[in-house]
Amino acid sequence: MKTIILLFASLFSLTLFSQTTISGKIVNEKGVPIAGANVYIEGSYDGASTSENGDFAFATTATGNQNLVASSLVYETSNIVIDVAHFKNQTIKLRDNVNTLDAVIITAGSLDSGSKARVSVLKPLDIVTTAGSAGNIVAALQTLPGTQTVGEDGRLFVRGGEANETQTYVDGMRVPQPYGSSPNNLPTRSRFSPFLFSGISFSTGGYSAEYGDALSSVLLLNTIDEPDQSKTEISVMTVGVGLGNTQKWKKSSFSINTSYINLTPYQALVPQDVEWKSAPQALSGEMVYRYNFERGIFKMYAAFDASQFIIKQENINSIDKITVNSKNDNLYFNSSYNGFFGANWNITAGLSYGYNQLKSDIDLDNLGNAENAVNMKLKLKKNFSNRFKLSFGADYFITKYDENFTRNAGNTFDYGYQNTIGALYTEADIFFSKKLAAKVGVRASANDLTNDNFISPRISFAYKMAKFSQLSFAYGDFSQTPSVEYIKFSKNNQFESEKASHFILNYQYSKEGRTLRAEAYYKDYSNLVRFDSPTVAYNSIFTNDGKGYAKGLDLFWRDGKTIKNLEYWISYSYIDTERLYKNYPTQVTPNFVPDNSLSIVTKYWITDWKSQIGFTNSFSTGRPYNNPNETKFMNGKTKSYNDLSFNWAYLLTTQKILYFSVSNVLGANNVYGYNYAVKPDANGEYRRSAIKPAADRFFFIGFFWTISKNKNDNQLKNL
Amino acid sequence: MKKIITTIALFVAVISSAQGQFEQGMGKAFQLWKEGKNTEASDMFERISAADKSSWLPNYYVALVNTTASFGIQDKTQVNALLNKAQNALDAEMIKDQNNAELYVMQAMIYTAWIVVDPMTNGMKYSGKTIEMYTKAEALSPQNPRAVFGKADFQIQGAKWTGVDTKPLCQEVDKAIGLFATFKPQTPFSPKWGLDRALEAQKNCK
Repeated sequence: MKTIILLFASLFSLTLFSQTTISGKIVNEKGVPIAGANVYIEGSYDGASTSENGDFAFATTATGNQNLVASSLVYETSNIVIDVAHFKNQTIKLRDNVNTLDAVIITAGSLDSGSKARVSVLKPLDIVTTAGSAGNIVAALQTLPGTQTVGEDGRLFVRGGEANETQTYVDGMRVPQPYGSSPNNLPTRSRFSPFLFSGISFSTGGYSAEYGDALSSVLLLNTIDEPDQSKTEISVMTVGVGLGNTQKWKKSSFSINTSYINLTPYQALVPQDVEWKSAPQALSGEMVYRYNFERGIFKMYAAFDASQFIIKQENINSIDKITVNSKNDNLYFNSSYNGFFGANWNITAGLSYGYNQLKSDIDLDNLGNAENAVNMKLKLKKNFSNRFKLSFGADYFITKYDENFTRNAGNTFDYGYQNTIGALYTEADIFFSKKLAAKVGVRASANDLTNDNFISPRISFAYKMAKFSQLSFAYGDFSQTPSVEYIKFSKNNQFESEKASHFILNYQYSKEGRTLRAEAYYKDYSNLVRFDSPTVAYNSIFTNDGKGYAKGLDLFWRDGKTIKNLEYWISYSYIDTERLYKNYPTQVTPNFVPDNSLSIVTKYWITDWKSQIGFTNSFSTGRPYNNPNETKFMNGKTKSYNDLSFNWAYLLTTQKILYFSVSNVLGANNVYGYNYAVKPDANGEYRRSAIKPAADRFFFIGFFWTISKNKNDNQLKNL
Repeated sequence: MKKIITTIALFVAVISSAQGQFEQGMGKAFQLWKEGKNTEASDMFERISAADKSSWLPNYYVALVNTTASFGIQDKTQVNALLNKAQNALDAEMIKDQNNAELYVMQAMIYTAWIVVDPMTNGMKYSGKTIEMYTKAEALSPQNPRAVFGKADFQIQGAKWTGVDTKPLCQEVDKAIGLFATFKPQTPFSPKWGLDRALEAQKNCK
């Protein structure tokens, strides 16, 4: 009995510990050996690292068919079934992992910032530390190539497109009214404080099929997923006060940011070129609530904004100044869920609602309007592998706009429009190799008001030529409902959607703290709205036979490496564009486009002074204007524009910051354009007045204080 | 009777031989790490973690080896790959146990490594989180010297530009050094590193 057991035991242990050697070589797709790859039998201790020549050999006690795993940092892991007895001197090829930093990325048209961006043209802090931006996201973006600074308007103008050709999205949901209201010829601001956003993607053309109803550009803002800690933030500024609070719990967090802006004291100190009867006041707030699920995140974002002002503006057509009394209320709400389910499925679902009400009394005339806008969205994405991802989704927009106008306390005119747009889209991300990638998509949309349907293809390719440089190409068709200024008169007119096609060729060089981008583009416009009267009115006759083009070159250079503690970037844009639209008699360059624009932004950190000092210089050549005293349309050209802004952030202690900024340091006398009288004077001449900034310089002093448990945190990122 | 005993003996032998394998493997991995063969050491820890899912230590060391390896490297692509590997290994353990102070210290180290790669981009984003991780670790295990020292050291490093007073932080370093003396690792392979760095920091405090 004893012997039998012993015999059995020894037999058992023999089979258990009998060893087979397996060996081979690990190479990449080009056959180059990979050193230090990890090769092992899954579920056992048996394995080895490859040598300098990619060779491996190890003994195993496993038998039969086993899973052999081979992995190395920047390669896709291979998992193959082998027969242990017969695996000798075999070669295993590992494919490049396309998810690594040095893989190609599609860059045509898009300028990214934030943590998810591989090559950031703007860093998160830049929005707020760029001199002249004064915490306005849009002002910081205007230092990037492809944008035109239109000082009297303040909105984003991209590559010869009108401001309304750019759509803004927060967490993937459209924002119908991204800007605050402002008097005629004085700039507006973006409604969003940079404080709540972690990533910004600004596309100057050729963007994804996920987005529609925008002829030129999309601006995508993403709120912070998870704030770093609970804190309270207080700001006292020359223009008002602000209060923010963040609460963080185990799975959720809530941030609120409110401010009250009143320019009365400031304007009492700094003389203005315009006469304010009541300086602009605004009470605004934003809040974000986030809840983290095991495999997803739910976000709710809400913003409100109530503002008012009374201004007396000179008008070339009247002897007396015109009094404008304006009140604006805005509410925006969105909720979204983004999560993973099943095997590599990703779902995004969202709903947004925007409400905007404007009441304006212009001398004895009254103008009032209200807009309600809803956006619903559902998007699914499946990662089949690192190399192939497919997404598809649906988008639904409802807009209702009502306006009434009462002339001289007389009759009231009511007009407006209602529109729904439904769209379906699908897009595939394909990596052919680490060097070649493509994004191919199509968007199908149906517009109720214009009664037209579109199938819009969107295609982009990227090819990596060398370790630090790559080429991208993008093509896309885009359509957009005409501006509210026209379609509010839809009752008597049938409009069609406006159309554009983009062709973009992009070169990018990026190496350790230095980025060079060069982008050439061609944009073709068709179906633009035209009208036959001096200004848009209910009795204007509209057609959709306008057209235009824009072509140009954008250059961008950013360097944070060459000089220690100095970060700077240079943007240059050249544009050649003409449009036949509005009431233009001929195809000309519109009045908001300068041919050449140059921005230089610098930021210098001085350790000894605990200060960051920044300069921004914006220059652009003259803009066209129409002089009715000349026979040729739009023949005038303003002198060139220049603005040098300066800012200084000083850390009093870690949590207390003093901030100072001033615009137009050199006091350049900038003129944006001219307003001409409607009728000629006694000498038969049309008189004019220059459109200028409200004051030569804008000064800003602020004190920012953060109260939190972690004493290292401060509001430097808010400045 | 004899039969049963033999079976038990055999059973124990098999078990102990498996345990021996774990210890042998861990021992070899530490040896490779000591020799500066980071890749091989990480590979070895990775193999052990794949074979023995009951211990959190192999994945912990995959994270530690790759994070410390990243500190000396300039190439961002490489650093990114190393830190992603470290993060994945740590995530695998964090999901199993959210009450292990050492894992939070490890997470803080990974965040710190991200800051080191690109302070301009990652400084603001990760410094708060790093402190948060150390605070969690300290709350779970107030006597853990790595949590106490890590938190103090991170703030001392940041003091250069935040201007925070380092005196109380240096006291924390002293406290951590005391804790290193009394800290008893649970197993021979449990983390016990950090004293040398703490002594170094103490020197700089004076």
